[in-house]
Amino acid sequence: MNVTLAVKQYISKMIESSGPGMKVLLMDKETTSIVSVVYTQSEILQKEVYLFERIDSQNRDNMKHLKAICFLRPTKENVEHLIQELRRPKYSVYFIYFSNVISKSEIKVLAEADEQEVVAEVQEFYGDFIAVNPHLFSLNLQGVSRGRSWEPSVLPRVTQGLTSVLLALKKCPMIRYQLSSDMSKRLAETVKQIITKEYELFDFRKTEVSPLLLILDRSDDAITPLLNQWTYQAMVHELLGLNNNRIDLSRVPGISKDLREVVLSAENDEFYANNLYLNFGEIGTNIKNLMEDFQKKKPKDQQKLESISDMKAFVDNYPQFKKMSGTVSKHVTVVGELSRLVSERQLMEVSEVEQELACQSDHSNAQQSLRRLLQNPRLSEIDAVRLVMLYALRYEKHSSSILPSLMEELNRKGVSERHRKMVQAVVEYGGKRVRGSDLIAPSDAVAITKQFFKGLKGVENVYTQHQPLLHDTLDQLIKGRLKDSQFPYLGPSSLRDRPQDIIVFIIGGATYEEALTVYNLNRTMPGICLVTDILPNIFLCVQQNKETRTCLEQLEGE
Amino acid sequence: MASIYAPSLEDSAEVKEGFLCPLCLKDLQSFYQLQGHYEEEHSGDNRHVSGQLKSLVQKAKKAKDKLLKRDGDERTDSGYESFYYGGVDPYMWEPQELGATRSHLDSFKKQRAARIDHYVIEVNKCIIRLEKLTSFDRTSMDAAQIRSLEKSVVSWVNDQDVPFCPDCGGKFNIRNRRHHCRLCGSIMCRKCTEFLPLTLAYKLTSGAREALWAPGQSGSPGSTGPVMQQTLRRGSISSISSVTSVLEEKDEDRVRCCHHCMDALLRHQRKLEEKDHVPDIVKLYERLRTCMEKVEAKAPEYTRMAESLNAGETTYSLENAAGLRMEIQKYYELIDVLSKKILTLGVKDEVQPHPKALQLQRMVRYTATLFIQEKLLGLTSLPTKEKHEELKEKRKEELEKRAQQERQAGLEAHKRRLENEKNRPALSANGDVPGPRMTKAAGWLPQSDTLHTRSELDDPLLQQINNIESFLRQARSANRTDEVAMLEENLRQLQDEFDAQQTSRAIRLSQRLAEETDLQQSQIEHLQQRELEHRAHTKTSSDFRERETAQTREEDGESLSGSSGSFSRLLGNSPPSERQREKHTPTPPARNPFNEEHFSPVEEKPTNSQTANGKKEYNPFEDENDEEEEAPETGKAKSPRNPFEDEDYDDGGNPFKEEIPAASTNPFDEDDDEDRTAVDDTIEEELLLQQIDNIRAYIFDAKLSGRSDEVELLSENLKELQRTLQEQKRKK
Repeated sequence: MNVTLAVKQYISKMIESSGPGMKVLLMDKETTSIVSVVYTQSEILQKEVYLFERIDSQNRDNMKHLKAICFLRPTKENVEHLIQELRRPKYSVYFIYFSNVISKSEIKVLAEADEQEVVAEVQEFYGDFIAVNPHLFSLNLQGVSRGRSWEPSVLPRVTQGLTSVLLALKKCPMIRYQLSSDMSKRLAETVKQIITKEYELFDFRKTEVSPLLLILDRSDDAITPLLNQWTYQAMVHELLGLNNNRIDLSRVPGISKDLREVVLSAENDEFYANNLYLNFGEIGTNIKNLMEDFQKKKPKDQQKLESISDMKAFVDNYPQFKKMSGTVSKHVTVVGELSRLVSERQLMEVSEVEQELACQSDHSNAQQSLRRLLQNPRLSEIDAVRLVMLYALRYEKHSSSILPSLMEELNRKGVSERHRKMVQAVVEYGGKRVRGSDLIAPSDAVAITKQFFKGLKGVENVYTQHQPLLHDTLDQLIKGRLKDSQFPYLGPSSLRDRPQDIIVFIIGGATYEEALTVYNLNRTMPGICLVTDILPNIFLCVQQNKETRTCLEQLEGE
Repeated sequence: MASIYAPSLEDSAEVKEGFLCPLCLKDLQSFYQLQGHYEEEHSGDNRHVSGQLKSLVQKAKKAKDKLLKRDGDERTDSGYESFYYGGVDPYMWEPQELGATRSHLDSFKKQRAARIDHYVIEVNKCIIRLEKLTSFDRTSMDAAQIRSLEKSVVSWVNDQDVPFCPDCGGKFNIRNRRHHCRLCGSIMCRKCTEFLPLTLAYKLTSGAREALWAPGQSGSPGSTGPVMQQTLRRGSISSISSVTSVLEEKDEDRVRCCHHCMDALLRHQRKLEEKDHVPDIVKLYERLRTCMEKVEAKAPEYTRMAESLNAGETTYSLENAAGLRMEIQKYYELIDVLSKKILTLGVKDEVQPHPKALQLQRMVRYTATLFIQEKLLGLTSLPTKEKHEELKEKRKEELEKRAQQERQAGLEAHKRRLENEKNRPALSANGDVPGPRMTKAAGWLPQSDTLHTRSELDDPLLQQINNIESFLRQARSANRTDEVAMLEENLRQLQDEFDAQQTSRAIRLSQRLAEETDLQQSQIEHLQQRELEHRAHTKTSSDFRERETAQTREEDGESLSGSSGSFSRLLGNSPPSERQREKHTPTPPARNPFNEEHFSPVEEKPTNSQTANGKKEYNPFEDENDEEEEAPETGKAKSPRNPFEDEDYDDGGNPFKEEIPAASTNPFDEDDDEDRTAVDDTIEEELLLQQIDNIRAYIFDAKLSGRSDEVELLSENLKELQRTLQEQKRKK
């Protein structure tokens, strides 16, 4: 169950089946992202695809010597564009692939437009999602909810995305959803509808244990996105913004031209692949090693290469050197910028208090540290608000809550009205009233003991104490202990065995911390083949930009 | 208690070890038993694992599942230390098949066929009628005659039935008269009529005529097409405009028709044209691809040859390899030239090609340069003739040394030898055992021993040669690539040494003595490392060899392969200095070719450059969100993608431009027609040229990724090299 591979296979299949010759890839805005996340340009160039065009682009010339591979979402606009294209074909042959189910009537319209018989292939290839990591996909959507229900225009897209993931992975799952969330029930139903309607498509080889689709709602755990993260990928996303595996570094002071935007892809960046999930301290060490290696290989600039043997040594080392220099400069820049931001925003201090708020239950200590930190003039507005939001969520119903005075403090700090309002919004969004799970206070004896033991053992790393709720949920699910009362099955049948293939979808988006959790679950339980697909981004967070920044903006919109 | 309530995933549980059956957890004693048990008991159990033990990971998973089901809450888990492994673990994922797909092609085709049939029939009808209309001589007939003929082709619609023009809706009256389409018989007004020029009509019908009468030769109508058609279409437009002025009582050179028929015919014509018209870029591109394919096919063969030659083997002749190298280089040049041609297609035309066409050309060029970069950097250099000889010598000596050691080992300690024998099969079965010395000792001992018995009677050098040859064969068949790599490294060092030689012959003469001693020392050292007690013997034997070298040299020639035979004969007659160089083989830097410290730069090169290429790329999709999607893309494309353009402004940075003259003075060419005495210079030149090639490729690469400081450094080097080259030539 590797979503990246699934999309890659689709695309290479498309290109292969068009045969030799120069090719152009015709895409729409969304499929462009889908393709670009999994393939680099040179990989595609090697497959003789030389041009990448948008189907809606007017600026395309007649090039009858090119074969066109169209990879499009089956939207009305795209079909319309395609009809126009087929009426006046610009390329010699068209291989058309839709990323999702397309209606018979639309096929008919297209067939009638193809008077010149230029279409050689019409297929559905279900790559209708953005494969961020092998176990993480996204639909790049925002603003999916209106209040507590679906934004009507978005639900179909989410359903399509989710079903395409199932089809790409060839899974016909049982569905469980979060009872406390109407949205997740609704989504579960629409997905089920599609599965029923397209039963022929979902007729896969039966596995011993049926796969499981678990639909969760972000509002159940609003705390996780509020925390600062310390793993490489998560930090890059949080502090710099990771969008389709690309970071925009143009705001970094003194950045060189070719580093304005860099691609961080585990697929072809070994260093990144190895450090994606490591924490900041480890990355610091690794970067240092990388630098040292590099220095060793680096030809001494001033050194004259006097003899042929000097030259030869240089030449021999050069390719390695060259390869390294790209990686080194990229990661040194990124890590440098991260550490600049960390110290500028005093994120170490902030994170410590955040973790204390999130993971410990000592109110008086927590409020003291919080107050102290809020006094700090260097604390940024966004961090201050986040801390107060955390407090508000954590000690929502605490008898001696100091929330009003904290709000006052925010006011004194000159935090804008807009931001202050979000504290209330976040409580409304993810407060106790809404939650279906025990996010904060463990109620049953087992959980309390667990907490107790955790406390006894001490904390290994102050900054990474927090475990997202998703971890517990999945853990219970894997052990077959997830309560049916909280996460009921859709339909009468239920899974008696422990699930093997699990696809998780979080309405509101997942964070990279949760991606890491899934990654670790996958690693530590090779037996379970826990499935991996979190979908960042429906409403809250991950995807576009800064996790919480978006989160805040979203809340504001409510 | 603690284990239950500890953080959920850190529960500890009984861990079973050994050869457990993944499904029933039965402990079996060995892998084979397990395999047998598994195949017997569980072969039908599950599709995932059915019968194949190929993926132990899968089985581990399975086992875990079973374990979980059985033991309930007790689960084994490693906790979170795996946190620190990092990376994407592909082993975690089962092999994945292509996701679900669904084809709509059939229904699409069905729908289209209905439509197309109709359309094709219409067009064919038009063409048949057109043929009839054009089959008589219009000039010699009067209007009435023509009209009746035309009416016989297609029945004209009755005037009274059509009060308004069906196309523009204008009412017909005295001034706005009705006109009939001669192809379909329909009525339209004058404004809506079109005229099909007879020339075009002939062309349209000629295709049909030929198809009817000479099905085999349908190529001709199209071949004249492109040029003719241009003028014709222009003609048709002007004729349409002229229609408005001229009253159209008699259409001598054109056929009146409605614009529906006209459209259909024009489209048909265009299609015919396109079918036969191949644009320049396609022709060039096809050639480019064939070249690339040839390189793909030939490069591995060459690499094999070069490796073998660099290892001092004699299966491939140096000439053949050089020829192949030349050929591959020719292809590279061709690829370069072709892609450059593609790049500049139409740039000088009055009408600039569409930006997209230019972009396409740039991308093709970019791909070609990536290809060249990747493959050219991986092109192993060949040893020169002399180097090759030296290599052979060196291998011989190496093997001789080993043979001696073996003999001593055999004589001294029979027990030890038995031990060796015991080790051998295991090691050689292992294929790539680290530590080449071990590998060799393992694989080839027996034969060198047998050789040795004979060698005691023979001349030691001759015996060496024999040994080497047999050892080489074995080495090659054993695929010891690590050795090959090391030998390549040696070769390089030898080349260095050779440079030193080149500087002065006098120095060389004196050096010779020093190096001879070096050789002895090296051998001593070598032996010391392995068997101290053999030292004395080896020393005397190598001394002996030195004394004998000069005489044996000529004899050696016979046993050398064809490629080097003439050369060694030549050496026999050449001045002493030449011989010295030959003898000079085991030079100090190359003291021990099997030294582990050598890594194999040549072999690494291709992969490096490949990954480097892959890494440093920009993606066209980057700007997908931008408003002005085109601008950044083309802008970006310009700078990094056109390294060759940029380089033209530089001081000879272009690797390919200058490579062509360089290649024409290729040493291998010269070898054939130049005097043999020039061999020194040529070899020096060849070495330089190879270096220059490399440097250029790097410069090109550096530019591509925009590291200007490196480019400077490199071009500095390049200049220096070129200067040296010039001096070399002058000396000559």
